[in-house]
Amino acid sequence: MNAVARPVEREETSAGAETVISGRNVGKTFGNGAVVALEDANFDIPKGAFVSLVGPSGCGKSTLLRLVAGLIERSSGSLTVHGKEIDGPHEDVGMMFQRATLLDWRTSVENVLLPTEIHRKPTKADRQRAIELLTMVGLKDFAFSFPAQLSGGMQQRVALARLLQTGADILLLDEPFGALDEFTRERLNLELMRIVGEVGATTLFVTHNIGEAIFLADKVMVMTPRPGRLAHVVDVPFARPRELDLQQTPEFNAMVAQVRDILGEH
Amino acid sequence: MAVSESAISTPPGGRGLSLTSKRILRHLAILATLLIVWELSTRLGLLDELTFPRPVAIVQSMYELYLVQGSIWWHLFITIAEVLAGFAAGSALGIGLAIIVGLNPLVRRFLKPYVIVLEATPRIAVAPLLIAALGFGWSSKVAIITLVCFFAPFVNTLSGMLNVNEEAHQLFRSLGANKRQIFMKLMLPDATPIIMAGLRLAMASALSGALVAEFISANEGMGVLLKRYTASLNMASSFACLLSLTALGFLIFRTMEAIDNRVVFWRKDERAATVGRRRAAAWHRKMGA
Ligand SMILES: Nc1ncnc2c1ncn2[C@@H]1O[C@H](COP(=O)(O)OP(=O)(O)OP(=O)(O)O)[C@@H](O)[C@H]1O
Ligand SMILES: [Mg+2]
Repeated sequence: MNAVARPVEREETSAGAETVISGRNVGKTFGNGAVVALEDANFDIPKGAFVSLVGPSGCGKSTLLRLVAGLIERSSGSLTVHGKEIDGPHEDVGMMFQRATLLDWRTSVENVLLPTEIHRKPTKADRQRAIELLTMVGLKDFAFSFPAQLSGGMQQRVALARLLQTGADILLLDEPFGALDEFTRERLNLELMRIVGEVGATTLFVTHNIGEAIFLADKVMVMTPRPGRLAHVVDVPFARPRELDLQQTPEFNAMVAQVRDILGEH
Repeated sequence: MAVSESAISTPPGGRGLSLTSKRILRHLAILATLLIVWELSTRLGLLDELTFPRPVAIVQSMYELYLVQGSIWWHLFITIAEVLAGFAAGSALGIGLAIIVGLNPLVRRFLKPYVIVLEATPRIAVAPLLIAALGFGWSSKVAIITLVCFFAPFVNTLSGMLNVNEEAHQLFRSLGANKRQIFMKLMLPDATPIIMAGLRLAMASALSGALVAEFISANEGMGVLLKRYTASLNMASSFACLLSLTALGFLIFRTMEAIDNRVVFWRKDERAATVGRRRAAAWHRKMGA
């Protein structure tokens, strides 16, 4: 029960695992330089890592995610995925938002199939995969329900299944459960951790909640506003699988305090 | 009393009539009373028979017009055909133009002032001009209805095109969707409910447009018939025409409502459940094959 709180040596990241996402002095300004959303961000994200992004509102978290997704162009610096400069949306990268953004006129499984449909006519295997993913997020019985018939939490599960259907090995999650109640969010966080572990994806997870950020992550990137800066990267040493009561341990709380200090200094 | 009656439904197999047949009976009773009072007041000279023909006389002329003479069928057909043609042309034009405008920021800026000016112009005021330009025949009527039917679908489609959910748009882009896919799979279906609302508005005004056009100038159609009977003080037949138009208007309204419910099935729980079941069945058939 309390053994989970034991910090462990981390081999994967320290022993030079392959870097998947890499930023060098990445900057982004809006309105011809009037708004500096992100400045001089340097980071390396190793393969399979779960990285949380925390920071106050407006510090450039969503901007960083959209840069990695290739939805917007950086203003300066270098940003690579699998060693290649990002120059637009990339099929290795999938994104999920605070709102589920499901298509109301499609059933759950049709929503999950959308990423496939964009690239080709779905095959029988694609359809099977979609059902499997819905099963994985616990919505097998709701495969043919429409979004309006689902609760907010269920809608986010469908969105998660859709994200996995892309086959992307880099998942960008922008406060994916931020609009849900605490209880649902906690459960979905646990499931997210399990699922991401199963598929071995590299994950960038934005949240406002420091505890959640630490609980889920291998690394926490702490950002500060005006201009958006990457202030610090904190390694999270807790072993996996993690249980909820990890959050009650002194080691965990010390780490929360540490992140809060970094945020407070700025 | 009305509240408790509509809130509590009679148990199935219970005594007496079902709630709906009770309600229908009550309304029939009210209607019958009204008609009898009307009939009696005209007979007793309380109402001027010239302006308020007796219900019995109206029914008689209904019978005359539809079953003896029969020419009203032709006029009815003309008006319906005008309405459908004008509606089809107006809404196709409205939706088509709105899509072009909505997809193209340049066109949008260029066209906007004209659209605003056009919208500020009372549509019916243009009717005499259209008649002058197109003559007294069919085409000027259809043109007037087209004009009447243009704006609601245009404005609604445009607002549907311009108000696409930004996150959904980003999602499609992050999935690598091209412009055509974004339009077909996101913008168009997303705008469907508001487009349908525009179409319903257009259809609702199409009949009025047709009648006004026929009042101004025409030699056939229900508007002509109505004007002719009124001019010759044949009020019973005028009322019979009015009644026919009410029925037509009701039919149009109900048809549009039914189409709307089918097209925008996801807004109605029951329809959504049915469609979901149907899609599940189709899916399993496909996977089993
Ligand atoms: N399209 C845009 N045009 C102009 N300014 C923008 C744009 N997008 C973001 N910004 C600005 O960039 C800054 C960072 O925004 P961003 O959305 O990345 O913050 P965030 O950390 O995600 O905030 P939140 O926690 O509230 O979601 C903000 O000052 C914002 O106003
Ligand atoms: Mg944000």
